[in-house]
Amino acid sequence: MRAPEGVTGVGGKGTQEDIEVWLAEGYVTSFRTACLILGNRADAEEAVQEAFLRAWRFRTSLAPGSDVRPWLYRVVVNTCNSKLRSEIPHRDRRAGDGDLDRLAASGDDPAHVDQSGDVVRALQSLAVHLRVVIVLRYYADLSEREIATAIGRRPGTVKSRLHEARRQLALHPALRSLDEQAGHTDSEVAE
Amino acid sequence: MTMIDEDPLRTVLARAADEFPVTDGAADRIAAAASTGDPKTGSVPSIVPRGRWGRVALVAAVVVVAAGGVTLLDGTPGPSPEHRIVAGPSTPATGTSGAVPSTTAPPGSNAPLVTPGTAGTATSSAGAGQPSNGATSAPPSSGQNGTATLPAPLPTGIVGQPTKVVTTGSIDLALGHDPLEPAVTRLTAIATGAGGYVAKSALQVGPSTGTVPSSGTLVLQVPQAAFDSVLTQVRSIGTVTSMTSTSTDVTGQYVDLQARIDALQASRQQYLTILSKATSIGDILSVQNQLDTIQSQIEELQGQLNLLDSQTTYATLTVSLSQSGHRPPPPAATPSGLGRAWHQSVSGFTSGVEWLVRIAGRTLFVLLCLAVFAVVGRWAWRAWRRQML
Repeated sequence: MRAPEGVTGVGGKGTQEDIEVWLAEGYVTSFRTACLILGNRADAEEAVQEAFLRAWRFRTSLAPGSDVRPWLYRVVVNTCNSKLRSEIPHRDRRAGDGDLDRLAASGDDPAHVDQSGDVVRALQSLAVHLRVVIVLRYYADLSEREIATAIGRRPGTVKSRLHEARRQLALHPALRSLDEQAGHTDSEVAE
Repeated sequence: MTMIDEDPLRTVLARAADEFPVTDGAADRIAAAASTGDPKTGSVPSIVPRGRWGRVALVAAVVVVAAGGVTLLDGTPGPSPEHRIVAGPSTPATGTSGAVPSTTAPPGSNAPLVTPGTAGTATSSAGAGQPSNGATSAPPSSGQNGTATLPAPLPTGIVGQPTKVVTTGSIDLALGHDPLEPAVTRLTAIATGAGGYVAKSALQVGPSTGTVPSSGTLVLQVPQAAFDSVLTQVRSIGTVTSMTSTSTDVTGQYVDLQARIDALQASRQQYLTILSKATSIGDILSVQNQLDTIQSQIEELQGQLNLLDSQTTYATLTVSLSQSGHRPPPPAATPSGLGRAWHQSVSGFTSGVEWLVRIAGRTLFVLLCLAVFAVVGRWAWRAWRRQML
């Protein structure tokens, strides 16, 4: 999945079917977005649950007809930021590494798992504001304007943050040879 | 500068994200939890209206409220009981006033306040009924007029003592080319009509040619309660160029003097008792010496008390009269239409610049307040929205 289908429902009173549509279309992508931002599956699950409940409670603040997706990502990002600020710093940070260890120990293709662990570690080495924009842009596939809406900044700020994040990732040892690995992966897929 | 490529980055991020398994039933739990709660329609009230014009209206309302507040603050009279009105020779004067009925002095006076005369200086001590020669009269005794001119009872102070207030005022009147004597006569009539008297007068009368202006000063003593009405009547005599009114509360001083006198009188009574029991000459002389000291102190304090009584019973109003020495020059020839238009144009431009300078300080203050309000409000709004979402 490259991009979510988009939770394109409209703000309004909402019914039980609406929240189910939101969850069906956006839960998985939101959850994995939170995982990449937080680097921790349990925290991400809590954050996304809290974000969806908040968004559903305050759905009437959305203007009728507006796109839910950037707004929903904004709630997710703010919830993740809140966890990073208030909860996770007071906890044993090795919990996130445990998830990465489990990634490495799972039964998938070992090359992919190693690379995934490296990618998550590389993301965690970024500052939070850079991590958020890189995940929203290249995983959630939001446009720069949608990211600006999601983080409450100007599109120019988003662009500069993306630039800086890609520069820092390119310098990360785990991702230095990413182009070659990506090429190798593409050939495998072709076969 | 090296940057990681976009497509490989998408690929590895998607692959890394797919490695996080989704818990079964997590979405169902959220749906179940969401179905139990109603939307918080009232929890996020939007105090900022949506739309550009709504926000413009809100900003305009804030500007109006701030400007109104500044105007109100600016117009609030201060705690000082002194009120002053000063009118320039040709400019309308405005000022704040609490005790004075009117706050605007009519313009148009070009007479100097006091112009020393070269002849005919007259200072006399005639009675109050002869004001044309300058008068200094004794205060009328209580009940002399038989009319209701006694001062009204003043409010009672916190110590149970009627409030004692000393009121003084001064007013400068320009008479234009009117003669001085009728004004003096009228001032004397006003003072005596109110139950007061003319305490002092000094007039400088110029020669009959009118080339040297006449001027004079009268000190009126009027009952406290009639001070305002006297002031109003005096103002109607001429053009007010300057006016000052001061009220001082001396209740504390009055009570203190009374208490000291009472204490000294009690001491004197005790010494008198001792004196009646003294047998030796030495004792009698010693007690007598103490009695003399106490008596002199009592008399001194009693004098101060009487002075305060007099000052609080009668208010003092000093009236300065001045007359123009020269007739105004004949008006210049009527300018042409173009000249008049040019003159009005220059005058309007000057008035506009004066108006701009006058409001600049207040406007800057209002703008500064609004800027601070906007910055803090914006920051608080963003923080609140971020916290709510």
